[in-house]
Amino acid sequence: MSSAAKIGHHRINGQILPQPCPHLAEFRSRNGSKPFRALQECLRVKPPGGRAAIRRDPDEVPRCASCGDAARPRLYACVACAAVSCHTPPGPSHAAAHAALMPPGHEIAVDVDRAELFCCACRDQVYDRDFDAAVVLAQTSASKLGSNSSSSSPSSPSVIRFQHPENLRKRRRVDYRPWAPDLKERTLVVNGSVPLESSELSSDLPRGLRGLNNLGNTCFMNSVLQALLHTPPLRNYFLSDRHNRYFCQERNGVSNTNRRNGANSDANGKIRNCLACDMDDIYSAVFSGERTPYSPAKFLFSWWQHAANLASYEQQDAHEFFISMLDGIHEKVDKDRRKPQNPGNGDCCIAHRVFSGILRSDVMCMACGFTSTTYDPCIDISLDLEPNQGGYAKMASTKSGHPCNGEADCLSSRQNCGTSTLTGCLDRFTRPERLGSDQKFFCQQCQVRQESLKQMSIRKLPLVSCFHIKRFEHSSVRKMSRKVDRYLQFPISLDMAPYLSSSILRSRFGNRIFPFDGVEPDASNDLSSEFELFAVVTHTGKLDAGHYVTYLRLCNQWYKCDDAWITQVNENIVRAAQGYMMFYVQKMLYYKASEKQVAG
Amino acid sequence: MSNEDNLSPHAQLSSHFFGDLLDSIIVDVASECHRIARLGLDRNLEEEEEEMRLSAQARLRVADPSNSSEANGKYIVDIFGQSHPSVASEIFECMNCSRSVMAGKFAPHLEKCMGKGRKARLKVTRSSTAAQNRNSRGSPASAYPPYSNSTSTSRLSNGSSSVAGEEYSNGVFEDP
Repeated sequence: MSSAAKIGHHRINGQILPQPCPHLAEFRSRNGSKPFRALQECLRVKPPGGRAAIRRDPDEVPRCASCGDAARPRLYACVACAAVSCHTPPGPSHAAAHAALMPPGHEIAVDVDRAELFCCACRDQVYDRDFDAAVVLAQTSASKLGSNSSSSSPSSPSVIRFQHPENLRKRRRVDYRPWAPDLKERTLVVNGSVPLESSELSSDLPRGLRGLNNLGNTCFMNSVLQALLHTPPLRNYFLSDRHNRYFCQERNGVSNTNRRNGANSDANGKIRNCLACDMDDIYSAVFSGERTPYSPAKFLFSWWQHAANLASYEQQDAHEFFISMLDGIHEKVDKDRRKPQNPGNGDCCIAHRVFSGILRSDVMCMACGFTSTTYDPCIDISLDLEPNQGGYAKMASTKSGHPCNGEADCLSSRQNCGTSTLTGCLDRFTRPERLGSDQKFFCQQCQVRQESLKQMSIRKLPLVSCFHIKRFEHSSVRKMSRKVDRYLQFPISLDMAPYLSSSILRSRFGNRIFPFDGVEPDASNDLSSEFELFAVVTHTGKLDAGHYVTYLRLCNQWYKCDDAWITQVNENIVRAAQGYMMFYVQKMLYYKASEKQVAG
Repeated sequence: MSNEDNLSPHAQLSSHFFGDLLDSIIVDVASECHRIARLGLDRNLEEEEEEMRLSAQARLRVADPSNSSEANGKYIVDIFGQSHPSVASEIFECMNCSRSVMAGKFAPHLEKCMGKGRKARLKVTRSSTAAQNRNSRGSPASAYPPYSNSTSTSRLSNGSSSVAGEEYSNGVFEDP
């Protein structure tokens, strides 16, 4: 059904504008949008954010004019004459009878309980943009300050203005264009560089594949480094010399003599630390063509200076290291320039440019519907594993990693499967959550603390999405920690569109045709929500005695990076692995990376 | 549905109302799905189900002992044809004290060399919070608030990587 319906339709904001049926088209050409706007006075919305209904006065009980029944599940009010009729297939349709008996022009009716348009002649639900706009206005007027839900006199439909995140410049989308150096640039490159040696053996294997020595319980660091070394925008940044250690040292006040000597200390002899410079060194080493394992010792040293409280010869958490490391790059780079501190639009440093997205949080008062919206930048998304789903979950993971036969049969009904999935976690992350009575939110409209509903959504997707699965449970009550080994299914291709603020908002208001969240009509919005998996950090073993391994996807081939040991693995191994951190890159950026590297 | 004649009038009425409510809910769902389908908002379930199927298949294949399992352990040869000792044997100079160190023992060396680590820190007086934090070995993704990621941002903004859960700067709630 879906694919046939989508052919030949124009999409705006990811949704189709369906063609009106002939009766609706006729109605519109005769009456314009005036009758629909007039219905606005009859729209009743029950807070909080409830469904819209049609009632001429608040206490009206609609009855079918033909049979007098008020309990029919479907009652339609004619838009032309307001006569209410029922429609109860396979029984008689008094609504269709009304349309047939009246002169032409009475075919379009509205469902009094659901505020949906209905063509009585076609006997099908139909859609109109102006009608939807009127409904949305009625529904959202409660969420704004200073208006009462029922008696507002709405002006012409306009874009709902929510508090917009500052500095969210709309970047003009530019199509991908391949680039090659011109003659002058080529000469410059040839004169200023020396070709890397590459042995026969490893010429088929992708560049940048190199083991990392474990320096003593440092697999947590190696695993994250491997993922970052192959994060396309980050890799491109460093390999394009965008962080140049000489300029960096100059800014950091490393004295001229020390720079010439290769030392990294300033005039006072104090060692100047820059995680980005050390990162740059690792990139150079790993992409040099040398295949013996590399020891990221200098990086460990620099990181320990940055993250003093994590500096110890102990097993650490890879995710915590990831956050700490990006913070280190941000801090160092940020101090150098007079750039804006706001990580929201990613202008402050490469770490944020690559990983930072914007989360939107809506808190809705359950008494009056007033909604407060805030935006926060986020560098990754931490997800809870779904709680054990009773019997099904137990069946699905009898022994560690061994699925039962029942699971294959469960595929048809996703909900009942019992397998946790990444998309399931994202669904839970973005679903409306009732806040407990101990977390009452102060409603600006009610002027008291009220119970409320909170919902998260993604306002802006980052270039690279890192999903962190909260597998480590720490209970301060029971004074223990444990690791959750449950399998989590994750896709290789991921569409993030359902978790965007525009989608979440739209579904909150009944999926009406309306430009929510000020999103521009932009065909390429669909493209930019598609992501491809390129790295998976996995953890095996116990909480305090475990091992991290990273799987990398290069040129559509999967490699296992286990400290110094790099091996090639089948995609099945990766799919079946216990994901702890999953790295996805926007598909537009990915497709180029998946092409085979051409030598020379 | 049981034979309505056998029910008391009270039960018949309840049954009738229940039927009406059920019909209404069914129409709700039908109407919503109709809108979602007509407006092209349905998620691409085919792709999602294909991914699920591939993953389930992968798990079965991996679990099958007759399949050659992925190379494990430290006695294998990597794709470049190299083999490595279980403890990295590369020797280099410590950037802190300039002594020669073996790669696989660098971290414990550096810990003492820099004066970090538990043994070194026990000599220094610390607040009780810091001591509590150090007792959580490798289990740090602890008390993230369930919905918000602002702990990550609050770490970034103040520059010091404090343990998760301490700061919650959403600005809307008071701390629970």
